Amino acid sequence: MKQNNPPAAQAKALNILIVDDSATMRALLHRVVGLADLPIGTIYQAPNGLEALKILETYSVQALFTDLNMPVMNGMDLLREVAKRDSWKNILRIVISTDGSKLRREEARELNVDLYVEKPFRPEVVRDVLCQIAGADAS
Amino acid sequence: MSSVKSPALTPADLYAVLQTALVEVSENAFFVFVERCDAGQFAALAEQMPAHGAGPAGQSRAWLKSSVAYVGAFSGSVEIALPERLGASLVASLLGMSPDEELAESQTFDGVGEFTNMVCGACLSRLGDTALFELRVPAVTRMALEWNPLTEAPGRAELVCLMVSLNDLPMRVRVLA
Repeated sequence: MKQNNPPAAQAKALNILIVDDSATMRALLHRVVGLADLPIGTIYQAPNGLEALKILETYSVQALFTDLNMPVMNGMDLLREVAKRDSWKNILRIVISTDGSKLRREEARELNVDLYVEKPFRPEVVRDVLCQIAGADAS
Repeated sequence: MSSVKSPALTPADLYAVLQTALVEVSENAFFVFVERCDAGQFAALAEQMPAHGAGPAGQSRAWLKSSVAYVGAFSGSVEIALPERLGASLVASLLGMSPDEELAESQTFDGVGEFTNMVCGACLSRLGDTALFELRVPAVTRMALEWNPLTEAPGRAELVCLMVSLNDLPMRVRVLA
């Protein structure tokens, strides 16, 4: 699943992958990403970790937003796979999950997760995350 | 959930946690305010349901029941019963849709499942910050038109039951063992 933004916006495009088994959450994140005043390239979507890996194998992605509890392959297993691959080491990893436990956060930190956002979240939180990413890339 | 593995947690504690989680999810993510109901107010709202008008095939008058099971340090499920039209309005609110935009049935079901998922997760985060839980995929069912929570026969063990209204429509939230 992918959506291309207008070519003009792709000059310094930030390609994003949203992984969540809920189509509603994917739609929400897609909308929220649009709120950020950033050049967004392609927003890819996947309903589970396995589908996400196929997208990562095929396309260049700079930021990965992933849920944790998903069927087929969950978010932690996806992050483990991402961590194994040297060519994916620069992908920014953002977990968006209902699971706010300390243990899960620690587990995520060990997998080089850059940010952990607990659901429910305010849309501005994700928008600000993207702005941070853009700021880091620009520096 | 509280009785077997977590004896220090009383039903009153669990009720408070559930209420806080519901308010947080409803207001922060779905932009809808929660009002507590007593049994009489809930019954009045539920009985008014047929008067709210029928959508296609009477769908807007039907109730949905959504459940998310969790396993971990203790196990159980969070179950939410709500009118389908309330479910649709919650999803529309989450996605920033205008009131006259129509949602597909699958969107409503998926969004109601996510609402339940968030309430369940928010509860567990408050109950066991140092414990790990796995949440199952939400199950959402449309109930028969004649069904409503007031006439439901008690089934599985109910630990707490919270009755509220959102947008003047009733919602029942339960934690089941």
